[in-house]
Amino acid sequence: MATRYGIQLAVHLISSHFGDLVAKVCECLLRKGTLTLRDIIRFTELSAQQVKNCLLVLIQHNCVQAFSTVEDGGLSESRIITQYMVIFNNIIHRMRFSKFIMIVSQEFDKECEELLEGLLQHGRLTLAQLLDRANTDKPEGKIPVVHLGGDRSRIHVRVLKSGFHRASCGLLCLSGNSFLMIGLSLTIKFVQFVECCPAQDALRESFNRLVNAHYVERCPASEPLLELKTDEAPSRRGAKSAKIARVVETTEQRALKAAAPMEAKRFLVVTNTGSDIHGKNTVDMPSNEITGEKQMKDEYMQLDGALGGAVCEKEVVWRANFEEFVLRLKQKVCVASIRAQYDDGAGVVLSAMLEATRGTERKIRGETSGPLSLNAIFEEVMKTEEGRTMTLEHVRSSLNQIGCKLDTAGPDQSYSIDLKNIIDTAQRDEVELIVLKRYGKEAFRMFRLLSRTRCLAETNKISDTALVDKKEAAKILYKLWQDDNVHMVRPTATSTSDKDLCLWTVNKDTLWKHVLDQMYHGALNLSLRTLYELEQEREILQLPREKRIGELGKRYERLRRVRILMESSLMKLDDSIMLFNDF
Amino acid sequence: MAFRGRGRGRGFGRGRGFTFAKEEPFILFPDITLPDIKNVEEDKTLVIWNSRLQSFWKSSLYYLEETTSTKNESADIERYSDRGKPKSKSRRDPLSDILKMTPDLFPLELIKGSKMGQHRKVRWNPQSDAQKLDVTFEKFQKRDEKEGMGQGEDEEEEENEVEEAEEEFSDDGDYNQNVDFDDDEDDFNMDNEIDRDEEAIY
Repeated sequence: MATRYGIQLAVHLISSHFGDLVAKVCECLLRKGTLTLRDIIRFTELSAQQVKNCLLVLIQHNCVQAFSTVEDGGLSESRIITQYMVIFNNIIHRMRFSKFIMIVSQEFDKECEELLEGLLQHGRLTLAQLLDRANTDKPEGKIPVVHLGGDRSRIHVRVLKSGFHRASCGLLCLSGNSFLMIGLSLTIKFVQFVECCPAQDALRESFNRLVNAHYVERCPASEPLLELKTDEAPSRRGAKSAKIARVVETTEQRALKAAAPMEAKRFLVVTNTGSDIHGKNTVDMPSNEITGEKQMKDEYMQLDGALGGAVCEKEVVWRANFEEFVLRLKQKVCVASIRAQYDDGAGVVLSAMLEATRGTERKIRGETSGPLSLNAIFEEVMKTEEGRTMTLEHVRSSLNQIGCKLDTAGPDQSYSIDLKNIIDTAQRDEVELIVLKRYGKEAFRMFRLLSRTRCLAETNKISDTALVDKKEAAKILYKLWQDDNVHMVRPTATSTSDKDLCLWTVNKDTLWKHVLDQMYHGALNLSLRTLYELEQEREILQLPREKRIGELGKRYERLRRVRILMESSLMKLDDSIMLFNDF
Repeated sequence: MAFRGRGRGRGFGRGRGFTFAKEEPFILFPDITLPDIKNVEEDKTLVIWNSRLQSFWKSSLYYLEETTSTKNESADIERYSDRGKPKSKSRRDPLSDILKMTPDLFPLELIKGSKMGQHRKVRWNPQSDAQKLDVTFEKFQKRDEKEGMGQGEDEEEEENEVEEAEEEFSDDGDYNQNVDFDDDEDDFNMDNEIDRDEEAIY
């Protein structure tokens, strides 16, 4: 949702990442909507080449999507025009790339983490570029060659996690300088670092793992052609239910849909050697997407036939799949919310359910998790450390406690849970907490009453129910109304006694948008302040370590603490932003 | 013509009941009541990753700067004090070095006239040639953390990286400024060039 401060935050992010030129073009698109190249040049007053370069950068980093439409030329022939739309959510995601890297680092190894980092740094890369990047001089590309005392034979040691080294020949190495080899004890003479290219196969394997987990996807089409949408005449005039049910798609939504790769192709890695799809891809994909290796390859060849031949695997461009990362973060928030609301057992059960249904959930909004049978849930719970001591009855009671829906239609009873309810509760709790901190306990009680009843209530009734003094209640409600937290309705007074009658309610949609805008404002202020502090002490940062002593050292320490505090606060605020915008 | 001159015109005189708004000092960041910092959960890993990404983008070829053509600049005398000032000419690689300018990836109107292929090896780590301020900062962070956690082996490797970073950041003054020192295009010393050409060859 692009609110007023959301746009400012987006522009600030682009400015700090790509410079003021790109930010200018981005701001133009954010404020004026979808535009053609000519219009962007006109509004930004930049040169054509500058605007083109800015658009190239924005497209490369998945912030802008181009699409073509057919313009009716009237008397002249119709022509195809290219328009550019900005993807607001993808710009805001740039603020939380570190969280995406954290997810991958927790699930996979260092190589996967670095592959993802490369994709986030560059926006889009082919597999060849990813492999080339991994092979450039990096400290991790060097392996220590250990020369052992008294023996000139070399044993290659690959550094794994800190404090522990395992040799490729199977030695178990202790930390420090001691090695144990089949009963013999050897000491390290010296360590020599040599250049070593990470095994290509290992990198491909890591890449495949990322694609299988849906953290990496194929890029959308560069310029899809949108068909002209004719005005649909309703078949039955006056059918109000049909009108309500129909969701009107904007041009931008249609463009994104048209650009997106087909679901069967989105996470498809085809090897170069002519062999079929990598085994793991077919095994891990959901059954409704598996059509057989040969058939899938035929479909792929057909799809790419129009482009003039098979697309080489190395030429396919990949990008990080933000949708999947947002889904993982949403699941974490749901588990944390259930854990806080009930107990750790309930959190473990929900976490197990979500893990078991991974891969089947595609849409983020309004999706239920499951259905799963009780036995499947129990098996998944047993795999976790915390769930090993749980019994079947305990799992069943936790499922009932967290509000899972039981479906007895099939042969086995299956459970599913609506994540939307959990998110709604978390959002409401967040807003109530904000009101509590800003306006006090009494305001919190009244606000809570209004937000849960969802109907118009009169001032006196609110004060009686919330146990607040009537005069105070009126003052607090006016203050909340001034800050757009509650909505006031003054009915037309029919008699003199009803002149002061005010009815209050909480308009959830308007208020949620207002809260989100305030959060964007807070994030913008935090970012600007962090930048300001770093700018003030730029000279301290440029000093080498040995010169940072005494007063300069103290200033450096202060700057270090300030940076960590402010950026950690920003990450915490970003959790709340995601709760209202992305989940 | 009646309104030429400075400031005061009709209707702005004193004693007419029309006053300017009260001037208040501009404070960039006004003081506010902040929550207790002890309640803030510090996540150093996220901060370090953020810092790494930021410094990469700042030094990458995606960071587009406004560059002014040297031909448009006035032919002013090059002064000693200008050495420290940023050069107008951008030292970043062109976008075509890394972006594949094909119709599959970008709209046709954006890539018309641009180089289709990549002729140079891509510099995946632009910071290796530039001053690594934030990287050094974060390396020190990592080292401080690992000192506290007692991980000796990684610390040694990190120190190697830090030392490498410090070695690459060297202010050698004139020695490294050969790139900008043009012998051949010295507009103000054409006579000297002619003299050099006429020097005797032994």
